[in-house]
Amino acid sequence: MIDAFLHAAIVMTTPILLAAIGGLVNRIGGIVNIGLESMMLGGALIAVMVSAQTGSAGLAILAALVTGAVLGLLMSLVITRLSANEIIVGLGFSVATAGLVRFFLKSVYGVSGTYNPAGVAMLPPIDIPALHAAPVLGAIVSGQDALTWLAWALVPATAFALRRTRWGLRLRATGAAEATVRAVGLAPLTIRDASTVFAGALAGLAGAHLSIGVVGLFNEGISGGRGFIALAAFYFGRSSPWRTALGALLFGGFDAAQIRLQGHWIPAELLQALPYAIVIAVLTGLGLADRRAERSGRMG
Amino acid sequence: MTPAPAVAVRIGARALTRRYGALVANDAIDLSVAPGTIHSIVGGNGAGKSTLMRILQGVDFPDAGTVVLNDEPVRLSGPADAFARGVGMVHQEFMLAPPLSLLENLILAREPVGAAGLIDWRKAEEEAGNLAALAGAAIDWRLKAADAPIHVRQILEILRLLYRGADVLILDEPTAVLAPAQIVELLKLMGKLRDEGRTILFISHKLDEVMKCSDAITVMRAGRVVARTTASDTNVDALARAMVGDHAPALLIESRERPSGTPLFSARALAARDPLGFERLGPVDLDIRAGEIVGVAAVGGNGQDELVACAAGILAPAAGSIRLGGEDLAGASTARFRAAGVGYVSADRAHEGLCLTASLADNFIAGRERDTAFSRLGFLRPANIRAAAARGLAGLSVRYGSVDDPASSLSGGNQQRLAIARELSRAPRLLVVSQPTRGVDIAGTAFIHNLIADFRDRGGAVLLVSESLDELLALSDRILCLFNGRISGELSRSEAGVETVGRLMLGRRAAA
Repeated sequence: MIDAFLHAAIVMTTPILLAAIGGLVNRIGGIVNIGLESMMLGGALIAVMVSAQTGSAGLAILAALVTGAVLGLLMSLVITRLSANEIIVGLGFSVATAGLVRFFLKSVYGVSGTYNPAGVAMLPPIDIPALHAAPVLGAIVSGQDALTWLAWALVPATAFALRRTRWGLRLRATGAAEATVRAVGLAPLTIRDASTVFAGALAGLAGAHLSIGVVGLFNEGISGGRGFIALAAFYFGRSSPWRTALGALLFGGFDAAQIRLQGHWIPAELLQALPYAIVIAVLTGLGLADRRAERSGRMG
Repeated sequence: MTPAPAVAVRIGARALTRRYGALVANDAIDLSVAPGTIHSIVGGNGAGKSTLMRILQGVDFPDAGTVVLNDEPVRLSGPADAFARGVGMVHQEFMLAPPLSLLENLILAREPVGAAGLIDWRKAEEEAGNLAALAGAAIDWRLKAADAPIHVRQILEILRLLYRGADVLILDEPTAVLAPAQIVELLKLMGKLRDEGRTILFISHKLDEVMKCSDAITVMRAGRVVARTTASDTNVDALARAMVGDHAPALLIESRERPSGTPLFSARALAARDPLGFERLGPVDLDIRAGEIVGVAAVGGNGQDELVACAAGILAPAAGSIRLGGEDLAGASTARFRAAGVGYVSADRAHEGLCLTASLADNFIAGRERDTAFSRLGFLRPANIRAAAARGLAGLSVRYGSVDDPASSLSGGNQQRLAIARELSRAPRLLVVSQPTRGVDIAGTAFIHNLIADFRDRGGAVLLVSESLDELLALSDRILCLFNGRISGELSRSEAGVETVGRLMLGRRAAA
């Protein structure tokens, strides 16, 4: 029972963590990416399509990554080059992509809502025989797919890259002081675009994990607001990949809990709202803490 | 270091013109700066110095004429291009990323990279150490830029130019934010860099500094070059005349006998904390009578900022009482302070004094938008607002395009005129003024001093805080010295001299 829950918690954390790491990098570069949901949805659909066509999970992942990256680039260009508001553009991308996906399914495959082609190659789980039987640890690390491993590898890698590489330094400077970055002769908008492409690519992978890692089909509600939950996770994480991972784990855990609690006496619809309620509670708590900090730091 | 190149003009301009709408910011400017010299550009607020420097650095572009580098006319494509040609600038607003460390700010865009593409921090620290030694400064490179003292940030900006190999340094009013001792250090550093062959463009309106450090001097007024000279061929008076034109204003404001009667403003046992919770002020007792300017002299951080914030009703005192005309304002909101007749001119005009992105007209009536002249039934009356602003600005002799232009279109000194005029237009009883002429030129300073003195003569009470002793001695009827948050002495204008006030500011007793 506890093993199954822990395994599910890690599985449900993966898409949130991938998108949250992308969103974190994007935010450090100066854009709050509200469009992660759209990139996740696009990645999820393309992954199923390519997987069914080619029978290759690897190609499907690559296609999802490219899809997310392209959507990210489009969104970024609208924000950085046309000076559009990042919130409006991000929301617009999320709403528009959802509509386009529905239209695409209907007009190309003649299905509404769910696309379940034959021959979808799933992401294979990676079993670790030595640990498989181990209690708790086995459930956590054995049988997870490559994207889960990638997501967790990205946590220290991102922390390291932000601190130790010149791109990390330039990204941090771009988010903190655009005029400074321009004054020293760099192109802050291009740096910012690159960070959105990175975020889009990771959100695309998150979508692929949902469609060909977890369920093996595409449904228009498959992302289920996880792009927005990722937003909450990197807000929770401030500028730290480790704290962001903690936030993703928290929300992934509640996601898994809500699935396991279904079928008991609590109505399923109410349970499904649980992770989102937690998001609101956590962000409210953070907001209150910020306000308190601000008030005590207030000066005439 | 680059060997002194065999050119006559390292950097300059030829018939360079730049217009912003109706305003001609630079009008056919000719400028020639010889290599290996310190060349000062002096001029009042709005003279066009900053525009010219932005163009020389490739941040802005001329409408006509050209920039000249190494005797050749060039078209700069941007700041990176200027940098590639050895030209770097330290802006008035520092160009540092606040959350990054000083070291990270130094190497940004020119990071030393070692194996595997990682930043070579050891090499970065080594180069940073060499630069600090050159500047003769002790710098804690791990400090965040946001936490570094202002003069360290300034030095860092200069070192960054050197780090990146610039041999032409444009310094835009670098001394405006520095204390006297730090100014001496900076001028010394400039001389050293010049002696090593670098070329320095020094923008300032502090004429004594200009006289001390310059090889050549160019004077600008209203967008034109009005004089070219050298330090040995001129003096402060001649420069001042060239800067302000024919009508050099009188600077001395007449002092007044201490008026009698009950004080208008009265604080008792007032104490206040800074944002970090440290007790900065108090307890102090302070009375200001109608028709009196009370100046406060203190070294930065001795409670004067908290005193200003409390008197303006922005900071709630930790203890003590504040009364204005008998009304008890303890714990009152800022709105009640203002309704009771407190006007406030902030030292931070960019954030507290004005809304730089709003129009001149909106700034001019801000706080009075509910007056029937400016709104009716909850709707603004734009025609009245614009007319009032135009009338008000006309009385300030401010150069501007249209009252719909943002306040940021004014030069710093003119912004300050607007901020003070706005507060005076509310007809306050007490005016709380902090650093009214910081970064303001001679003519602007005289104008602002006259506004304040005029308010006093009409029966207003003034609390004046300034880092400039000259200003305090010129304006105040009475001077209070603050040390460690307490009043360390009180002098009438006739008793006060720079030395006496200076001693009291440092907590020592006045000479008997």
